Amino acid sequence: MAGQLKDKEAYQRLNYLYQAAHCVLSQNPENVELARFYCFTQKTIARRLVLRQDPSVKRTLCKKCCSLLIPGVTATTRQRRKNRKTRFTVVKCLLCGQSKTLLNNPDYCLWVDRPEAQLQQQKQPDRGPSVKNQPKDSDPDKSASSTPSTSTAGT
Amino acid sequence: MEEALVRATIPQDLVKALGVESQTRSKADAFTQAFLKNSIQQHSRHNLKNMLTHKAVILGYTRPKKEKKRSSKKAKGLNARQKRAMKIFDIKPEHQKYELFLPLHDLWRQYIIDLCNGLKPSCNPQFVQQKLLKADFHGAIITVVRSKCPSYVGTTGILVQEFKHVFKIISKEDKLKVIPKRNSVFSVEINGFVSHIYGSKFEQRASERSAKKFKVRGTIDL
Repeated sequence: MAGQLKDKEAYQRLNYLYQAAHCVLSQNPENVELARFYCFTQKTIARRLVLRQDPSVKRTLCKKCCSLLIPGVTATTRQRRKNRKTRFTVVKCLLCGQSKTLLNNPDYCLWVDRPEAQLQQQKQPDRGPSVKNQPKDSDPDKSASSTPSTSTAGT
Repeated sequence: MEEALVRATIPQDLVKALGVESQTRSKADAFTQAFLKNSIQQHSRHNLKNMLTHKAVILGYTRPKKEKKRSSKKAKGLNARQKRAMKIFDIKPEHQKYELFLPLHDLWRQYIIDLCNGLKPSCNPQFVQQKLLKADFHGAIITVVRSKCPSYVGTTGILVQEFKHVFKIISKEDKLKVIPKRNSVFSVEINGFVSHIYGSKFEQRASERSAKKFKVRGTIDL
């Protein structure tokens, strides 16, 4: 259970860093360096703790220079066409020139949204007590239960 | 007349339909400036003036070498030299303003209060400290309480960047100060809850701290 809690902290931290990058950019659209620093930190934390980030987050970060991609501010968004039918959304980072190409397909369903992904997460609990559904149950009594967990971490 | 059209605010009925609100004058100006600057591409390697001042230019035509075709289109990260050349994390002096970072501090406050679920005065201080160890400190107002170097003592500011050996804080006088973590003690204050950070024990990168386990009883040598 302690592992679950620790993960929650990390997710909160990732969330905060992502918001902080947005906050910095909204205050001063030219201060790209700081926003990039926060996103870089976010990325390294996720890498160290092996946390999976949501595609909506991943698609707004540049793969090369880790900066936050906001259309018009730090990135350009264009529609490209390959054949007659297939169209792509091309997001290009203005700072390093790296581009992302996403296929426009209205029927496309992300892996996270698919039912199989949910099933896979539910299968895991059989092996260990860390379940996705469990935090909901453990949340209310967290303040009570976390104090013993800290003492165990101390020893 | 055209300028007036550009600066006009979005009509009320459209605000709802689009879900976009027009921003205040100063904010809109800042956005436009940044947008124009980014739209007009400037690359350091195409900077003529820079090239002429720093290098001897060979006046002979050679056919430019064809770049080797990369097998994959995958993004490769930048290497250290490229990062240094880009000044990837350096904050430019014109952005070092205290007021610009106040919203960040507010955001940080919310984050910490949320992290310690409420941060009531009845909270166990040990529990809060355990949480703070793994928390993020970007955006906090920190003060140097004790230090081996006496001139650092008393400096206050919003923590902007945290590196392995150094905190970069921005003081109220709009100055970016670089303070080494080693041999100094910092204090962080949230809603009357004051916590001390022993810099010598904190000498890791901000991202590595979340994965590291701390020893409970460390020696304090200052």
